[in-house]
Amino acid sequence: MSDEIVFYTTDPHANVAEGAEIRQLLAQCDLDFEESIGQFVLGRHGRSLVACAGLDGNIVKCVATAPGYRGESLSLKLMSEVIHLALECGHLHLFLYTHPKNVSFFEGCGFYELAEVPGYVSLMENTPVGIKGYCGRLQKKREPGAKIGCIVMNANPFTLGHQYLVRLAASQCDWLHLFVVREDVSRFSYRDRFALVQSGVADIPGLTLHHGSEYMVSRATFPDYFFKEKGIVGDCCTAIDLLLFREYIAPALGITHRFVGTEPFCATTRKYNNDMKHWLQAADSDAVPVTVVEVPRTACAGVPISASEVRRLLRAGDMAHVESLVPRNTLNYLTHNDYVT
Amino acid sequence: MKIVKEAVAGTLESSDLLVKVAPLADDKVDLVIESEVMRQFGAQIRKVVEETLRQLGVRSGQIVIEDKGALDCAIRARVQTAVLRGAECKEMNWSALS
Repeated sequence: MSDEIVFYTTDPHANVAEGAEIRQLLAQCDLDFEESIGQFVLGRHGRSLVACAGLDGNIVKCVATAPGYRGESLSLKLMSEVIHLALECGHLHLFLYTHPKNVSFFEGCGFYELAEVPGYVSLMENTPVGIKGYCGRLQKKREPGAKIGCIVMNANPFTLGHQYLVRLAASQCDWLHLFVVREDVSRFSYRDRFALVQSGVADIPGLTLHHGSEYMVSRATFPDYFFKEKGIVGDCCTAIDLLLFREYIAPALGITHRFVGTEPFCATTRKYNNDMKHWLQAADSDAVPVTVVEVPRTACAGVPISASEVRRLLRAGDMAHVESLVPRNTLNYLTHNDYVT
Repeated sequence: MKIVKEAVAGTLESSDLLVKVAPLADDKVDLVIESEVMRQFGAQIRKVVEETLRQLGVRSGQIVIEDKGALDCAIRARVQTAVLRGAECKEMNWSALS
């Protein structure tokens, strides 16, 4: 049948000609091709490409339908194909970025809005019980008190700077909730980072150590954080991550203050800190503001301690300096795991 | 029948439905239904889904349904398929599917 639209999956990097066609279709729809997308579902009518949807891990991106083919049935079929493709790759839980004006369309595909930067971007997930269930589990870990603090850290790896920040925050609050970024794309694995934080804060009273989640500083909420080297993070990405924190995570745990170390070296983290003051405190939102407390970094011999500096020293094989910047457990870990080159 | 892994059946196309199942730690069935025709047929859809789950002996699991106006027989078939996929069922009890 010549009228039928055929769907199939392609890798845009392996198939250069199709990659070019996808770019063209996206350009028609005012979208940019994203290099990180490993797979595309394509819909063809005869020889012409009329629909596409990209899948980057568990994030749906670059969904486009050619202007002449827009109508419920084609797009719903396209989204069904993407959902099944994702499942084959082991992802039932999906996220999706779109312009707020398209939110109602994706709601028809089983996606639910998580956060919106008005006029710019919305983040959606494909389950009605995702963040609600997560916040329900967090609520069980609420602690009493008027001043409840929170720190979210990557701890890549855990340094004396992290330890100082945690100790200071815990001493200033009735209770402190400490999260370790879960995404496993840093130099040190999540398991190891978490274990080092755990041993590094073991003797600090008044805190709960939590596993991170997809709803905070993850590939989904903050796709660019893990690609710092590429330069400045888009405003919207930090906004989505911070709005999720303010509107869901902070209310679930009753968090009133978020602590963060000043950032002297890394431009991405510095920008994140600045954006934090805007989106957690100043921006319009139905949720109560969270006070951002920026703590000056503790220094060693006049130089602020940072994990990126530790990684730099490791690469340079300068163990003598590393030793003065990290707790004993981190040092043991670094020396016993051949991170010394 | 116990749901041991995440599974999907169906599509989002008109007159069909997408059923997603996932294991749940608690011993309860958490059923969420979204439908284009919720107001007219929401109660009927729920009845069909609950009946199908009962016949299959599902006592625990997260079930999410996106309905696009499917008939009862389609709802029953999609729910059965999703549950069987999620339960990694090898031995089929055909009478439970009738």
